[in-house]
Amino acid sequence: MSRIERGVTRPEPITIVIDGETVPAFSGETVAVAILARDQLRFRDDRSGRARGMFCNMGTCGECTVWVGAEQGAWERLRACLVPVRPGLEVCRCPPEDER
Amino acid sequence: MASQVSTADVLIVGGGLIGCASAWHLADHGLAIELVERGHINAGASGQNAGSLHFQIERRFLEQGEQAAREGAVIVLLSKLAIGDWATLEDRLGRPLDIAMHGGLMVAETEAELDLLAFKVGRENELGLSTVLLDAAELRAHSRCLSPALAGAAWLAEEGHANPRILTDAYAQAAKQRGAVLHTGTRVTRLTMEQDGTYRVQLVEAGKERTVLARKVLLAAGHWSTRLANMLGLNLPLYPAPLTMSVTDRADPMLPFLVQHVGQRLSMKQTDDGNLLIGGGWPSRLERGEDGLPDLDRPALVDSANLRANLEVAARVMPALRQRSLLRTWTGTTCVSADQLPIVGEISAAPGLFVAAGGSLFTLGPVLARLLAQTIATGTMAEEIALFSPARFAKLDAFAVLP
Repeated sequence: MSRIERGVTRPEPITIVIDGETVPAFSGETVAVAILARDQLRFRDDRSGRARGMFCNMGTCGECTVWVGAEQGAWERLRACLVPVRPGLEVCRCPPEDER
Repeated sequence: MASQVSTADVLIVGGGLIGCASAWHLADHGLAIELVERGHINAGASGQNAGSLHFQIERRFLEQGEQAAREGAVIVLLSKLAIGDWATLEDRLGRPLDIAMHGGLMVAETEAELDLLAFKVGRENELGLSTVLLDAAELRAHSRCLSPALAGAAWLAEEGHANPRILTDAYAQAAKQRGAVLHTGTRVTRLTMEQDGTYRVQLVEAGKERTVLARKVLLAAGHWSTRLANMLGLNLPLYPAPLTMSVTDRADPMLPFLVQHVGQRLSMKQTDDGNLLIGGGWPSRLERGEDGLPDLDRPALVDSANLRANLEVAARVMPALRQRSLLRTWTGTTCVSADQLPIVGEISAAPGLFVAAGGSLFTLGPVLARLLAQTIATGTMAEEIALFSPARFAKLDAFAVLP
């Protein structure tokens, strides 16, 4: 899934980190957009290891829940569709190694 | 046009925990049981509550006075029966129910609260409930995940939690296996008594009307039981109590116990999957209908101030909660009776009409359903539930007109 380019003016890209990889994103986008823009439909796994992906894109279903880097190296489980990107934001779709 | 008429020995209204458990027990007595549920099985408070198995006596039974002491004694007796019922339920229903009875703590934050707990433990021990008082140091050694600032706690080894999302279904399936007939999507539109005392229950199922004639009817519809009793011109003093529940993301196992608070509204536990469930009786808000009155048919709305207050108490008791994310908050509407005790038994003014509603019916649900079914089947009230008999409100039906 790629971003619409025609007729859209975006600011300079920022970078965020998804699963350890630095990727571009644009201010005003959500983490969900940044993940989808990488052609990744898998946002998380259920407890039996099956892929789950964004469904409602409005904070209701919780299917797009990912790990987002918080203060002091902690991680938070947040709905990707509700979290705006910011420079240097860290996102993991699998449990981060330093979690737990 | 005459609608289809059928009969049942007992017609149960309400497909929650009490209704389905009663159907299971009653079917074992060899009775023809029909259960009707307006929505789907477990749609109401039975599936929305905290799932706590709490057997320590509540604060109101600690008040001075003979009545509080007598009621406390009966509640403890029932709690001891309930402990036995819960401990064997998975075997009897033949299905895992996420029942965890690894103990429960009722915590105190202040010395005054700890004094109250000491008094409570004394009374419970007299009544044969083996609660243990833990001071701050003992609590710290016992449960490292809780705040070191707590003043102490009362510990009861038999407390715990179960999964409200599967219990009712387990009862419903088991009831069907015993021959009970369950109809969901079926609404009671009219409830009347015939000259011979038979109840005529008019139903609408998938747009079609039909009628069931039953010698006995059990109202197990939570706060809606009041409306059903109203159909017969009877009064049940039950009042809706819309509450709030929350669940966090999964964490490593840290809390094997049920946690309650003696001075604050709080219940907290960790599920098998690691999620922390937080509740304790914080109100949500009922929607209003066009007539300006509370609309009991729509889900209650989360009150953000109460939600914050609930989470704040929880995080004060268990600071590790502050690192967790809130996954979801939901509401459910239970009810309280005029004297805050459940109303369970036969309604004096209407022989053959039974009710079971009034809160605390998850913890006490299995045992009350069992004793109520015994009461309905044998026609003799089980002594253990006499305290909850609707007879105490019989005066409200002094002007009832029945055949």
